[in-house]
Amino acid sequence: MEEYARLAVDYALKLGAGYAEARVQRNLGSTYTLKNGTAEPVNVTRKLGVGIRVIVDGALGFASTNSLDKNEIRTIAESAVRTAKASVRLLATPTRLSEEKSWEDDWEAKMKVDVRKVPPEEKFEVLFTIEKSLAQENVHVSLPSRILLFDEDLTEKFYVNSDGARLHGFVPRLSLLYILTAVEPGKGTVQRIRHEAQSRGWEAVEDWKPKEIAAEEAKMMGRLLREGVPPPNGEVDFVLGSEVTGIICHESCGHPQEADRILGREAAQAGESYVNPKMIGHRIGSEQVTIIDDPTIPNSYGFYLYDDEGVKARPRTLIKEGIITDFLHNRETGAELGVVSNGASRSSSYDREPIIRMGNTYMKPGDHTRDELIAGVKSGVYMKSFMEWNIDDRRYNQRYVGLEAYLIENGKITTPVRNPILEITTPGLYGSVDAVGKELEFSGATCGKGDPMQGAPVWTGGPPIRLRQIRLGG
Amino acid sequence: MNPHDVMQQILTTAGKLGVESVAAGFTRRHERMVRFSNNSITITNSWLTETPTVYLISNKRRAACMIEEQNPNEVEGVIEQLVKTMKVTPAGDVDFTLPRGPFNYQPISGIYDRKVAEAETGLVDAVETGINAAKKEGAVRVSGVVITHTWERHVMTSAGAEGSDRGTEIETTIRAFASDEATGQGISLSTSLAKFNAEQAGISAGRIAKMSLNPEPGEAGKYNVVFAPSIFANLLNRVGDSASAYSIDLGLSFFRDLLKKKVASENFTLYDNSRMPEGPGSVALDDEGYPTQDIRLIGNGVLETYLHSSYTAAEHKAPLTGSASFEAGIAGMVPDARNLVVEAGEGSLEDLFDKAHDGLYITNNWYTRFQNYQTGDFSTICRDGVFQIKNGKLAGPVKGLRLSDNMVRILQSVKAMTKDRHWIKWWEVATPTLTPHVLVEGVGITTAKK
Repeated sequence: MEEYARLAVDYALKLGAGYAEARVQRNLGSTYTLKNGTAEPVNVTRKLGVGIRVIVDGALGFASTNSLDKNEIRTIAESAVRTAKASVRLLATPTRLSEEKSWEDDWEAKMKVDVRKVPPEEKFEVLFTIEKSLAQENVHVSLPSRILLFDEDLTEKFYVNSDGARLHGFVPRLSLLYILTAVEPGKGTVQRIRHEAQSRGWEAVEDWKPKEIAAEEAKMMGRLLREGVPPPNGEVDFVLGSEVTGIICHESCGHPQEADRILGREAAQAGESYVNPKMIGHRIGSEQVTIIDDPTIPNSYGFYLYDDEGVKARPRTLIKEGIITDFLHNRETGAELGVVSNGASRSSSYDREPIIRMGNTYMKPGDHTRDELIAGVKSGVYMKSFMEWNIDDRRYNQRYVGLEAYLIENGKITTPVRNPILEITTPGLYGSVDAVGKELEFSGATCGKGDPMQGAPVWTGGPPIRLRQIRLGG
Repeated sequence: MNPHDVMQQILTTAGKLGVESVAAGFTRRHERMVRFSNNSITITNSWLTETPTVYLISNKRRAACMIEEQNPNEVEGVIEQLVKTMKVTPAGDVDFTLPRGPFNYQPISGIYDRKVAEAETGLVDAVETGINAAKKEGAVRVSGVVITHTWERHVMTSAGAEGSDRGTEIETTIRAFASDEATGQGISLSTSLAKFNAEQAGISAGRIAKMSLNPEPGEAGKYNVVFAPSIFANLLNRVGDSASAYSIDLGLSFFRDLLKKKVASENFTLYDNSRMPEGPGSVALDDEGYPTQDIRLIGNGVLETYLHSSYTAAEHKAPLTGSASFEAGIAGMVPDARNLVVEAGEGSLEDLFDKAHDGLYITNNWYTRFQNYQTGDFSTICRDGVFQIKNGKLAGPVKGLRLSDNMVRILQSVKAMTKDRHWIKWWEVATPTLTPHVLVEGVGITTAKK
């Protein structure tokens, strides 16, 4: 793979590029699905190609091909240089990259049990075991729609740039997706989507305890349908479960603190940010709130050790004790804002430019147990999981609609409650956090950004947290 | 790679391994993109791909593979591995075959333009035209994208179907900022360079942005809403998804159990027209080699059919609709919409404001998410120009609104549509959609509480 990447870089420099990088990337994927107890087709994806990014007279150009023919690679290098040159006349400020150490390394996420050596029938067997656990006599609710999906994606990248970086990485990513629909006569339906995901070998699947988790979720859905009551009116306190804390950290801290959004580069699609470059040091939440993005967590779904600009990955503290402390940077935004990259540049495929992405974003745990958080609430709602959510394109006005949720009465969890809505601004949310739990948990997710859309594997996480005096939405 | 040779190799290899039915596909794409923000180009992109696809059926078992790498030597090995996997896959419960060919595919006019295929540096000119037009209308900052797609596709099946087609598409999305909170969007989408109009997209974006200056916080409630084509196309894409029989099977459709029932108001008719002349999504044959059709999905408010592949048609005991699309990562071959087309109304935009009397005009949205796909309960964020309608006239801009409602209820509350229609496709609208402005009564709007 190395010779193709080097050919692309050398040829682009010869054509006049001031900087060039190339990535040869192979993705091997397989998806196994059970739909209502019946096997769907095994779907195999093989992708292999080379992408080159150049800077010519301050203009960025990217081109790719899925051919490793050397003439074809020269053709895309010519295309990247030629189109970048053509865009110089509409360039307000020449693109610069921050100065970074040029690393040479081989790195990988290790598999104890190589998923490639596990036969397909064993993968189906896991899904059928989950399916059996969802039988009505076991979970006491009818589940007319059950989608169980196991996905594996093995990503191998070879990266070089004209600054001297040379990196070879390998990450196996496994995930298990449950989409369940429960029905109770006269009570309607509820749906649950749950996503377990890690960068590991086949050993991950056993750790996920899939049949137990699926059955628990189904039983919860049945109880929610049978016993669920409407949410209360007026101001209440909220305790949010790890899954909800995680999506909040991702949507209203991670995204608005991506420096490319802050500088307007994603304006036409994913939008900009309520945060501006001068807001480092600005208080956005209570002292309980510390949010970190760390791509180096072993086994995490958003795991990587070097980003797609060759920069070594490291944890980034985005909010510390309620104060904005850092943004997510690539080399372009690092140079523009007078700092260095913190290794947040990722690409989803050989044919996509690297852009700023989160890795694993989570709220730092505090010192309360979940039960202690709930014990401190006289009247409120515990929202353990969610289905619907969204946030405006400045990352200020957001909404999370609870799925598994309960009333809290006099410090105790009581009756299931259906569809409680947290609809709130970002400072309103983080400013309302008065206590943070100890138990840190993560969920797998695929984050969408960029044009063309790039799906990036991430973890979202955190402990349970407590919010005071929230008016429920509707 | 030679498409015919690769597809023949797929059929021959699979046949030797005892596979009953095979659909081979081959797509060649050349795409170009210029992205810009803050009145400046941020990057140029160019992508070249050749992708064979394989869909195998044997003994009620299926398997699929997308081979996005140009190495003919790999094909045999990939198929051997795929067949081994298919043999250990538990058998399904639907007995079906691929559509029996050969078929006579009628060409579709106006879907290929050599000038689009050859456009390269001209895309920078289009960016400049769009930026200048938006600034002239009052924008301070302009962002967006200009994209060209040039494609050819080939299908060959063991059931005797074989055909090819090719097309082009050029599109721009322009987002203008008159201030950080005052934005507007304009879109131009065409299969030919002659009908592509970056200037008009820039004018629309700049004009809406300027009108959006100094918005007041909006209030929650039920409103008569006039939807601009961009937001309505976003909602219709969910309607198209829900009309796929595969979504019905997955439990991810709000049309489950609603076939032949009233799902929209009587004045609402929606087609998925895969054969529309100059249609950005038009193709002559589907990925199973079956000729495409103009399908009336919703006729005068009644859901007339789901979209089908040969598998779902057999499962639902329904006729084929020519909607099979190869998709990586899920079931391989699934039914999908290609050109969603709303039958036009009669009035003008001003007529809709008049009929709404008091309400909201929403120009665009993003981030549509469902609480429950089967019930259709969802919300989406309004963006790029939201205005009050007072006494039948357009009034001042508002901000901070979220549309929180039910998809079927919205369809059933359509009151009127304009005569003018616009093609929409952008980052939030994947399926090309031709839609008018639409008036819907009693739409739920919510706001942040703290």
